[in-house]
Amino acid sequence: MPATLQSKRHRVEDTADLIEFCFQQGWSDGLPVVPPTEDRVRAMLAAAKLAPDQQVGYIDHRAVSITAEKVAINAVMAGCKPEYMPVVIAAVEAIADPKWGYHGPGTSTGGAAVLMIVNGPIARELDINSGDNLFGPGWRSNLTIGRAVRLVMRNVCGSLPGLLDRGTVGNPGKLSYVIAENETESPWTPLHVERGFRPEQSAVTIVAANGPHQFYNQLSNTAEGVLTTLADDMRISGGVMGQPTYVVVLAGEHMKTIANDGWDKKRIRQFLFDHTKNTHAHLKRTGRMSGAIKPGDETATRPLVETPEDILVVAAGGRAGAFSAYIPGWGSRRSSEAVTKEIKR
Amino acid sequence: MTELLDPTTGAATQTIAFVPRPQALAGKRIALIENTKYNSDKLLERIGELLKSEYGAADARLWRKKNASVPAHQEIIEEVRKTCDVMVAGIGD
Repeated sequence: MPATLQSKRHRVEDTADLIEFCFQQGWSDGLPVVPPTEDRVRAMLAAAKLAPDQQVGYIDHRAVSITAEKVAINAVMAGCKPEYMPVVIAAVEAIADPKWGYHGPGTSTGGAAVLMIVNGPIARELDINSGDNLFGPGWRSNLTIGRAVRLVMRNVCGSLPGLLDRGTVGNPGKLSYVIAENETESPWTPLHVERGFRPEQSAVTIVAANGPHQFYNQLSNTAEGVLTTLADDMRISGGVMGQPTYVVVLAGEHMKTIANDGWDKKRIRQFLFDHTKNTHAHLKRTGRMSGAIKPGDETATRPLVETPEDILVVAAGGRAGAFSAYIPGWGSRRSSEAVTKEIKR
Repeated sequence: MTELLDPTTGAATQTIAFVPRPQALAGKRIALIENTKYNSDKLLERIGELLKSEYGAADARLWRKKNASVPAHQEIIEEVRKTCDVMVAGIGD
């Protein structure tokens, strides 16, 4: 006998529009949702092999317990297939991790989205896009997994826009912001392996993040050339002073150019760290660092991130085109760290 | 008839014992909780001065959070609980 579901039940007349009913309850992010019926919710729970009352995460300062049942209901509404549930569960575990620090990115005027980078075999099995149109539409898994997590934040954790989600301008990634690393074509160590997992494990890494910034270099055929453009683009970006995590997404052409020079992710990180420092004088002149310009400010520098390891390098994006992207994290790394969780099946 | 399951959750129910709001600030010890944003210390110190000069508060002492994006840490809460009557928290930007 399956455990009883505890959620309040709403009885809706057959003549009523169920999708419209969900809008009226305030359950939606603004797009139509799939009505959460018991059979659909149970299929989600079965796919994750979780009892409904299993606690997936606890948001301490909001005293909110996130149960598997609530994650399943929101995953149904987001349009997930049941087999996506293990990814959603791992991502919800991650947002509840104190290192991610829900209070900041969940609430801040800085308008963080939850960037999710999926690694390991599950990314291929679920067809999570790691190629063309990486941050764009077209892939159900990318769009619904991230949406499910945001609906949990909205409906369970209370991150309602204008109330406890106070993003000043927000960003479109707050609807869904999921990518996979292109491990099949990448010449580099996958992100989850760098972060302590085995290649055959699946994992999701979450970063409190601003929107993606695309950059262009069609002229260089060296690693240094491509990364010089990237560093110049990154140098003044995001909060600049906050020293958050950064994610660098290198797509097909750039990935090959950089790899052909023999550069690994560690060397990429170090180069970007070394070439994204700003002088104190520049930061003061442009209203980012407080105080008057003092002797020495023209040569004193502030790194964009605290350490090279705060730049996560991911191989993803289409094969054609001399474009790649970087993503400034929200706030500071001290307020919110990238968190990686195993996707358990 | 279709049954839909509610996706929302409230916070866990717990009883929070709020200290009653004081009727007046005369003689009260004020805690100022500063969130590290630029000028927030100046703003709160000015508020503290006004509470002393215009409302007769006994004392106003400033605490600084670890950074703007985190709740006040436990040491602040413990100290304020022991040594203050009224708390003013605010941000500056």
